[in-house]
Amino acid sequence: MRITGKLAGNLALAAAVLGIHAGAMADEPKPKPENIINVHLTEAVASQKFERAPKFWISDVTDRSGNPQPMLVLKSRGGIFLDREPTAIVRESLEESLKSANLLAGDANSANLVVRVYLFHFGLAETSGLDFFGKVEFSAIVKNPKTGETAEVKAVGTSIAKGAARKKNAQKNVQEDLEESLKDAMRNFLRGQQLKDAVAVLWKAGDGAANPEAKQQ
Amino acid sequence: MRIWIGLVILAQLTMGGYSAAKGEGPVFKTAEAKHFNAAEGVELTPAFYDYFYAELRNELKKSKLVNDVIGEGEAVDDADAAKSVIINGTVTEYKKGSAVKNALIGFGAGMRSLKVDADVQRRSDKQTLCAMQVHVKVAPNWNEKTMAKFAAQQIVKDMKKELGSQKK
Repeated sequence: MRITGKLAGNLALAAAVLGIHAGAMADEPKPKPENIINVHLTEAVASQKFERAPKFWISDVTDRSGNPQPMLVLKSRGGIFLDREPTAIVRESLEESLKSANLLAGDANSANLVVRVYLFHFGLAETSGLDFFGKVEFSAIVKNPKTGETAEVKAVGTSIAKGAARKKNAQKNVQEDLEESLKDAMRNFLRGQQLKDAVAVLWKAGDGAANPEAKQQ
Repeated sequence: MRIWIGLVILAQLTMGGYSAAKGEGPVFKTAEAKHFNAAEGVELTPAFYDYFYAELRNELKKSKLVNDVIGEGEAVDDADAAKSVIINGTVTEYKKGSAVKNALIGFGAGMRSLKVDADVQRRSDKQTLCAMQVHVKVAPNWNEKTMAKFAAQQIVKDMKKELGSQKK
């Protein structure tokens, strides 16, 4: 009889814990068509000019943000979600910009320099509460596949957008903010001194044989 | 007589248009804001400096003092270096403030305070064009990042005041 009482007490406790957990789960925002935003580069970012332009290949984009919900941008106000993984957005933006500058190789084998990207932050960051602070931060390991030499290139993009009272405006502002910070990060990477130095060190005169187009020139 | 009046009005309109255009034009081609450093003993999170950097760039864009606000570490053409500036600085003091002091004493006691030293350097020869000292105070219950916003606004306002007269 005593054991049954203990068991009943345990069962009641378990039921209460489950009930609280279910309540908390119900508060979690869920992606719906009306709270999903499509973040992409509005126009390709112009790259800096290299003395001898190499061909790049984006081998991999890895999420290193440690964020368990990378697609959830804003938790409050019913939530705002991305339509794709941040890694896919960054990869697409990089490839688009490199392609527009004629710096993207057709495949991994024809590339002079292979880029592996580690994404540290994509989304909104801590702010004063008066506005939205968009931030995109990544680090790229640029590698010459022939020599095996590597160089690290860091890039950060930031943007501040106005806060909004209405949910619809907040969604619009967050989307613009993220697009602006993505553009800023791409620009920081493609026009950065670090990339210029990395290309100068890794892509030497003797490597011209790796690029058939460069050899012809 | 009518011709003379017409000519005077035309001359005034031309001069007015010229001075307005001259006053609104950007002073520099590019401006690069750096992440500010912390002086010894200043305890602020890295997120604060990130936000301060973003706010400073945002305020620079709004000020129309420069054509293009570039990111940290971006390359600039040699031809544009003489008309480009770099803004860097140090957070020299941060006081958390005290809500109790603020409530009991008032008159500015217990306020959160932030002191920032900033300087604007010409990119080509690293000559300091202007140096600023900014002191921001907010209520102790306000978010510390609000101070970053106000400090960035103050820096750009001071820059405009100091460098606004240097036209291209």
